Amino acid sequence: MHLTRDEERLLADGTPAEQLSMKILATLGDVYGADRLIPITGAHISGASPKTLGDAGVEFLEGFATTARVRVRTTVNPTGMDPDRWRDFGVPEAAIRTQERIVAAYAAMGVEPTFSCTPYQIGHRPKRGEHIAWAESSAVVFANAVLGARTNREGGPSALAAAVVGRTPNFGLHLEENRKATHAFDVRVPMRGYRWSLLGLHLGELVGDGVPYLRGCNATEDEIKAFGAALASAGAVGMFHVEGLTPEWREARADGLPARTVTEADLLAARDRYTTGTEPEAIGLGSPQLSADELRAVADLLEKHRPRPRVFAFTSRAARAEAVDAARRIEALGHVVFVDTCLEVSPMELWASTTATPSGKGAIYLPTLCGQRVVLDDLQELLRRFS
Amino acid sequence: MILTGRRIVAGRAEGSVLASGRPLSLLGGVDSATGEVRDPESPICGESVAGRVLALPHAKGSTVGSYVLYGLRKREVAPAAIVVRRAETILAVGAVLAGVPMVDGVPTDLLRTGDRAVVDATRGAIEVPLVHERPVVSCFLEREGRILVVRRSEKVGSYQGKWSGISGFLEGSEDPEDRAFREIEEETGLTEVSRIARGPALLSRGGDTVYRINPFRFHAPRGDVRLDWENVEYRWVNPSELATLDGVPKLVAVYQATIP
Repeated sequence: MHLTRDEERLLADGTPAEQLSMKILATLGDVYGADRLIPITGAHISGASPKTLGDAGVEFLEGFATTARVRVRTTVNPTGMDPDRWRDFGVPEAAIRTQERIVAAYAAMGVEPTFSCTPYQIGHRPKRGEHIAWAESSAVVFANAVLGARTNREGGPSALAAAVVGRTPNFGLHLEENRKATHAFDVRVPMRGYRWSLLGLHLGELVGDGVPYLRGCNATEDEIKAFGAALASAGAVGMFHVEGLTPEWREARADGLPARTVTEADLLAARDRYTTGTEPEAIGLGSPQLSADELRAVADLLEKHRPRPRVFAFTSRAARAEAVDAARRIEALGHVVFVDTCLEVSPMELWASTTATPSGKGAIYLPTLCGQRVVLDDLQELLRRFS
Repeated sequence: MILTGRRIVAGRAEGSVLASGRPLSLLGGVDSATGEVRDPESPICGESVAGRVLALPHAKGSTVGSYVLYGLRKREVAPAAIVVRRAETILAVGAVLAGVPMVDGVPTDLLRTGDRAVVDATRGAIEVPLVHERPVVSCFLEREGRILVVRRSEKVGSYQGKWSGISGFLEGSEDPEDRAFREIEEETGLTEVSRIARGPALLSRGGDTVYRINPFRFHAPRGDVRLDWENVEYRWVNPSELATLDGVPKLVAVYQATIP
């Protein structure tokens, strides 16, 4: 990969963190055949909870932070706990200390303390055509597909390196030709709410790292958020198109592709495949974190139904501030609204061994990250069934 | 044997190979304090990566796995070098963070756990001094849509009792095609044969030998097969039957290499 004189200088004479960041970007550029580094307008980093970083990651970040400063707007993923509430929920003191070290390291680098997996819903919303370096697979797929911004599926360390340099290697989804549809689907079933999660699980398994193109459906932003999150967890997907909805569908060149039909049976099979439990002790919402709209809808539903399991709703600090009334209504019913963390990086294992959720992404990660059995279904259906 | 690939992270290291035919997840799959592989689905579960030449197809799982390599290095239990078939973000970034020499584009299926290997990642070369390469020919004779396979006798040096094409070692700087004609005549008595195709060479590991297999396909329109001591049985089979035979390694792949 070609480096400019300024990039060469950073590699040779930058701070230790800058040199290491350049080395990471240059190596990835070579691995994937990039011709050069391109400037980015923003970065989003994953790896902010003790669970996803591990001890080694925390040690690395602390050392790195002493000579690192981000050069572009940079936001960061959820932490492992709500800093104001952990005491009441049995989170061990040692985990809090580790969390504080992580938060301090990101703060020292100039990263905005958003602690959200939905940066695009709280003001970090790049525009069509902007090159960015985002980690967090659900945010990556949203940025590419829904916003038309351009990012590869970065890992935590590579997004951090890009933030410190302000550049990223030019390959993959930064290039027009890799954003075209590879698989086409006719969606012949009614699509709303959590069914988008099921569709994401189903298609993710079918397309691997391809670019699916959907016909015959429409969605709200929160539905498409849930779809993308499930799609990007079940497969290594970084981009999709929905005909008539997402900004690049006209350029997706899906016309020549044989279309596969999505049926009701496909969706039900996805639900059943990820349902591993029967009697939930908790209902988990917010993978990705709930938007202000979703918080309000949850509050309305909970006032109608009175589920036996406690509801744990995860959202960003910004979304809670926007819908603070809804958050209060949910908590007044004995349920919980956590901020700065999300369903699967929180210690759900302290509070339940079976969790019900309408989230496809949650259904994938709750078993491995939180040791949960899962009941996957529509929220209203869950509230009815377990009241 | 010397394998070559592409430098990912420069450096030089020597060690005992730890080879897995399956991708490995670093986060959750390797104990970050000891370097022990804990993933029960990994064929190298229970082994330690510390000081080893880690040979994998590629990594899988969370991208935060890169930090695990860094942690292993800090505790001095990192691999001495990493060789992979295909580099991806997790291992490439991890090797940079940890300063572990790394090479990709390597046919890692030719490496075995316990091989001593010298990795010169700067040049992209992996030398395995105790494993030697031997060139061989493997020939499929074709008659009326069927191909001839023979079952190796107990007297041959390798793969006794296995089904195979007509095969033999090359001697000196001999031309593979000359050797092919000679082996066919010796092992089948057939002399009226003409070459249809020659495929690209394939490598196959057996014990401390790596066979460089030169695949051939010949037309053998007539004549009775007379076996010599090297084989005990022969059959004319449909190409599709090859996969069902108890054959030598890569039997099907070698045949397929002769199909243009």
